[in-house]
Amino acid sequence: MSDKLVNAIADMDEEQALALVQEMLANGTDPVTILDDCRAAMDAVGKRFEKGEYFIPELILAGEMLKTISAEVKPLMKQSVGAAKKGKIVVGTVQGDIHDIAKDIVVFMLDVNGYEVKDLGVDVPVQAFVDEVRTWKPDILALSGFLTLAYTSMKETVDAIKKAGLRDKVKIMVGGGTIDQQVCDYSGADAFGRDAMTAVALANKWMGVK
Amino acid sequence: MATNWQDPDHGKSAEQVCAERAKRIQDASVLKQPDRIPILMGAGYLLPEMGGITRKEYYDNPAKAQELLEKAAALFKPDTIFGAWHTPGPSVAMGDRMTKWPGYGLDPNGSFQFIEQEFMKPEDYDKFLADPSDWAVRTYLPRAFSELAGLAMLPPMGMSLYGYYNIIDNYAVLTAPPVVAAFQAIAKAAKLQTEWVGQMIASGQRMATLGFPPLTWLTFVIEAPFDFMSDTLRGMRGIFLDMLRRPDKLLAAQAKVGDFQVEWAINSAKALNIPYAFIPLHRGSDGFMSIPQFEKFYWPQLKDMMLKLIDAGVTPWVYYEGVWDERLSYLAELPKGKTIGSFQDSDIFKVKEVVGATMCIVGGMPLSLLTNGTVDQVRQHTKELCQKVGKGGGFIMGNNVMELEGCNPDLIKAWCEATKEFGAY
Repeated sequence: MSDKLVNAIADMDEEQALALVQEMLANGTDPVTILDDCRAAMDAVGKRFEKGEYFIPELILAGEMLKTISAEVKPLMKQSVGAAKKGKIVVGTVQGDIHDIAKDIVVFMLDVNGYEVKDLGVDVPVQAFVDEVRTWKPDILALSGFLTLAYTSMKETVDAIKKAGLRDKVKIMVGGGTIDQQVCDYSGADAFGRDAMTAVALANKWMGVK
Repeated sequence: MATNWQDPDHGKSAEQVCAERAKRIQDASVLKQPDRIPILMGAGYLLPEMGGITRKEYYDNPAKAQELLEKAAALFKPDTIFGAWHTPGPSVAMGDRMTKWPGYGLDPNGSFQFIEQEFMKPEDYDKFLADPSDWAVRTYLPRAFSELAGLAMLPPMGMSLYGYYNIIDNYAVLTAPPVVAAFQAIAKAAKLQTEWVGQMIASGQRMATLGFPPLTWLTFVIEAPFDFMSDTLRGMRGIFLDMLRRPDKLLAAQAKVGDFQVEWAINSAKALNIPYAFIPLHRGSDGFMSIPQFEKFYWPQLKDMMLKLIDAGVTPWVYYEGVWDERLSYLAELPKGKTIGSFQDSDIFKVKEVVGATMCIVGGMPLSLLTNGTVDQVRQHTKELCQKVGKGGGFIMGNNVMELEGCNPDLIKAWCEATKEFGAY
C-alpha cells in the first residue's frame, strides 16, 4: 500500500497520482497493489462525498483518474482479481428519458462501495429491465429518471416485473432529482432516493451490510 | 371541495379582470401585498393532453395550441398562463444537435430534451478566450448545428478588418455550396423564429382580451456565466473537470460570457421596453458543487450579472432549479424587491423565512401532488402555502416546474380555487 498514491487520488492531485503510478510500475510494483490503492482512495473520496466535503466535480475527476490508471495497469496483470461483491444491482434510466449524469454517479458509487453493477444505459425499454431481472438475477433494481414522464415509465417497469412474476425476487429503488415519496408510491417501488449516497445506503440496508 | 365556492371575479368584464390580474402580479413581484395571491400557471404539455393531440401536433399547429391555451385559461382561471414558449422549427432548420423535440428526434409524444455535449473541448479554451466571436462562428456553430458545417470554411472573422482587401481575398469563398447552405439554413431558422414570435405576440394580445395578462418576464433568457459555459459549450462533465484542472481559464471565460450577456439583455430590454430577464439556473443548486466552489465559480459571477441588470432597470426573474436550501443565505444578499425568484424543489417555507423580505417568491405547488394527490391534499397544501408563504405579500402561487404534464385537471382546478379561497388578504 502506498499512502502517497492513496492521498494523491483522494486529494484530487491528478498529476501527482499519475506520476506515482508510472514510478511504481517502473519500480516493478505489482499492478494489484496499485488497484488496491485506487480502491482505498475511492473509499476516501466516497467518505468525503458523504460528509459533504466533496461534490460531483470530485467524483468525476476521481472517476477519470481511476479510468486512466486502470487502463495503464490492467494490461500488466496476470490474472483478474475479483473481490467478493456485496450484491448484484441492475441500474438504468427508464424509457423515454436520456439523462445519464445522476445515473452514472449512482453506478460509480455503488461500484466503489463493493457492488457488482450492470448499467443498462438510458432510455431503457421496460422489457429490457424485465429480461435482465429474469436472466442475470440481480438482488436490486435501481431505476433512474429526471423527466416527469419517467414516473409513468417507472410504474410501467415495476408493473411488468410484477406481471412476469419476478417482483418478489428483486428489491426496487427509484431515484432522480424530482423523485419523491409520492412518485415512489405511484411507481410501486420499495424505496426512493434523491442522491447517490442514498442509493448506497438503501442497498446496504437491503443486503444487510453494516 | 367547498360547494358554495364562488369565483371572486364572477360578473366582472374581461378588461377589468385583466387589469386586476396584471396589478396583482405586479404588486406581488415588488414585495407588495395585493388583494389576493396571484396564480402563475405554466401549463406546458397539459395542453396537448387536454386536447387529445400529440405534442408534435401541438408544436406544429399554433392555432390549435392557442385554442387549447384559451380552454385551459377558461377552465382554471389563473392570473396568467403560458404553454410552450419555444418551437422546434428553427432548431430543425439548422440541424441543432443539442435539442430533441416531440416528433423531431423523439416520439411524437416525447418530452423536449436538452442534450448537453462537449461542443467545446478543453484545448479550445485558448482560442475561445483570444477571440470568442471567431471561435463561435467558425468552430462552435459547425459543431453544434449540422446544417452550419459550411461556416468552418470562412476566413478568420478578423479578416473583415482588412476592408476592401478582404473582399479580394475572401468573398469568393462565400459562394462555396456549403457556405451558401449554412447561410440559407440560418435565414430559414430566422424566418421561422420570427413567425413564432409573431404568433406569441398575437397570442398574448388575444389572451389579454379574454382577461389574462401575458407574462412578458419570459421574453429574454440569459444564464449564469457558469451555466452558459456548461449548458451549450462544455457540458456538465467537462466543466466540472475544468473547475479542478483549469480553473483560471474557466473563470476568464465566464467573465467574457457574463459581459456580453449583460450588454445584450440590457439592450434588448430597452429596445422592446420589457424590463425583465429570465435566468434559469442549473448547476449552482445544492448537490452539484461544494460551497467553496460555489463561492468561487458560481455565485459572484451570477450576482454581478444580476446587479448590473438591476442597475440598468432590468428585473431578473431567476428560476432556482433543483434544491437551494443550503444556499438561500446568498440569495438574501440581493437588493430587496429587485429580483423575482421561482423555486422548484427548495423547502418553500424555508425560502420564505430566509428570502421572503428580499424577493418575490414564485412556486410552491409540486407537480407530483397535482399528478397523484387527492383534492383534500391539494387544498391542504395550498392553504398552508397561502397562510405561510403568502404572509404579507410578495408571493405568486405557481406550479413548481412551470409544466403540468400528466397532471389531473380536477386537481389543478381545486388548486386554483383554493388559492383564491385561502389567498385573499
